[in-house]
Amino acid sequence: MLKRVFLTGFLLVTLSSMAWAQKTITFASDCTWPPMEMMSEQKECIGFGPDLVNAMAKAGGFNVVIQNTAWDGIFAGLAMGKYNAISSSVSITEERKATMDFSDPYFEVKQGVVVREDSPFKSEADLAGKTVGAQIGTTGYFAAMRIVGDKAKSYDEVGLAITDLANGRIDAVICDDAVAADYALMNPDYADKLAMPFVIVPDEPEYLGFAVKKGDSETLEAINKALTAVRDSGEYDQIYKKWFGSE
Amino acid sequence: MAEKKTTIDVGDGAAIPTKHDIGLFSAWWIALIGALGIITYLSVFKPDPYWRILKFLPDGVLVTFQVTILSIILALILGLFTGLGRISKNRAVNLIASTYVEVVRGIPLLVQLFYIYFALGQVFANLPDSNFVFVFLKNMPPLVAAVIAMGFCYGAYMGEVFRAGIQSIDKGQTEAARSLGFNRRQTMFYVILPQAWRTILPPVGNEFIALLKDSSLVSILAVSDILRRGREFASVTFNYFETYTMVALVYLVITLLLSKAVSSMEERLNYYGRR
Repeated sequence: MLKRVFLTGFLLVTLSSMAWAQKTITFASDCTWPPMEMMSEQKECIGFGPDLVNAMAKAGGFNVVIQNTAWDGIFAGLAMGKYNAISSSVSITEERKATMDFSDPYFEVKQGVVVREDSPFKSEADLAGKTVGAQIGTTGYFAAMRIVGDKAKSYDEVGLAITDLANGRIDAVICDDAVAADYALMNPDYADKLAMPFVIVPDEPEYLGFAVKKGDSETLEAINKALTAVRDSGEYDQIYKKWFGSE
Repeated sequence: MAEKKTTIDVGDGAAIPTKHDIGLFSAWWIALIGALGIITYLSVFKPDPYWRILKFLPDGVLVTFQVTILSIILALILGLFTGLGRISKNRAVNLIASTYVEVVRGIPLLVQLFYIYFALGQVFANLPDSNFVFVFLKNMPPLVAAVIAMGFCYGAYMGEVFRAGIQSIDKGQTEAARSLGFNRRQTMFYVILPQAWRTILPPVGNEFIALLKDSSLVSILAVSDILRRGREFASVTFNYFETYTMVALVYLVITLLLSKAVSSMEERLNYYGRR
């Protein structure tokens, strides 16, 4: 009897998985980057990125798995094939393009500067010689290195840098403006302590894209197609509105 | 009929090799020459990226040494008092020292680092500027926080080393000193501790090496040690294999040199084993 139950169950599982034989794309996300990617108390990765990816999965007809991955080493994991793509607010840069392929851009960012409320810093020049923190390997960290050189401090997570800033150990934190605004304006713990006095104006606009392993055109095509579909259907604007309030 | 051999050589059984057995000696040389050789070979023949990585690391090496040496000094001071406290007849002192050891040994070093740096940092940040202790705590640089965390943790281990070293001295020494009219404090500082040093120093040397390796954990506090420098390099260039190879080799060379220093110190102190 028991045997038959098992057999039937096994058959059901096999059949149903065959019926749902969709392509699965595994995305790596570093869920420490609010409001783009962050961990909810239900231990799910939520934010603008995951919402967009899930909408794309529906539009593009593939399954999606979001894998929480530490930022430091997220690119190494992609090269090793541990996941198919990275959805983690990755800025498209020339250096990165040499080692991975990028989808069409899905978001524009600038580098926002977060300081303590009482700080006098009003422009990039004011930061010279100050201690500036950023998350390791982000475009914010590259900007910090460009401005203050060796005084740039790299953190594993942007949240740790923000904590150090609020605790008075460093003078400023540079990160994507969406994240900077979230900490400086929305975050209940920091909104009254921190401010974002200015953003660094880049020479060329900086865009976020989904990264895939170099040469993986199949995944790239699926992602691009789904992204276009989500943009055309207006779903993109809805998600944007949900997380950023305006269009 | 030949005489039957009745003695057994110590070397016949599963004995621990001495330094006269070539094995231990050559393992150290193979590791050191191998590591130095690979570093040199890679830097000379593949300067891109290996020489670039090597050039990127030195200030990290300096920070690692700073953290290690400052932490060991703090740990030794804490360890001495903890060790004395652990054998103290004063109940309160004994209890405080023992509790410190129990608590610290029960919490992973990484968690302690996070706790002292980030958790207590938040508490310190809200202190008023009323006295210089508060002001210092508020403006504590990361390196100092890292040193305090590491020293605090290793102080507990060191306390056990001190306790064991003191207890290894024969009771007769205390009895002799006491009968000569030394009081308890004099007995400890003039008779017991000078002898206990010999037992204490070798494990202290080992703790020193262990601390140097564990100091790589402070990279989590954004202290720019060897590992953090390596990670920064890799995060920009994506040369993970090359960078971590170099980082590992640099650590290896440093610990090999230190372990040699510790073992030669051990030999000098080993009065009993001297022939």
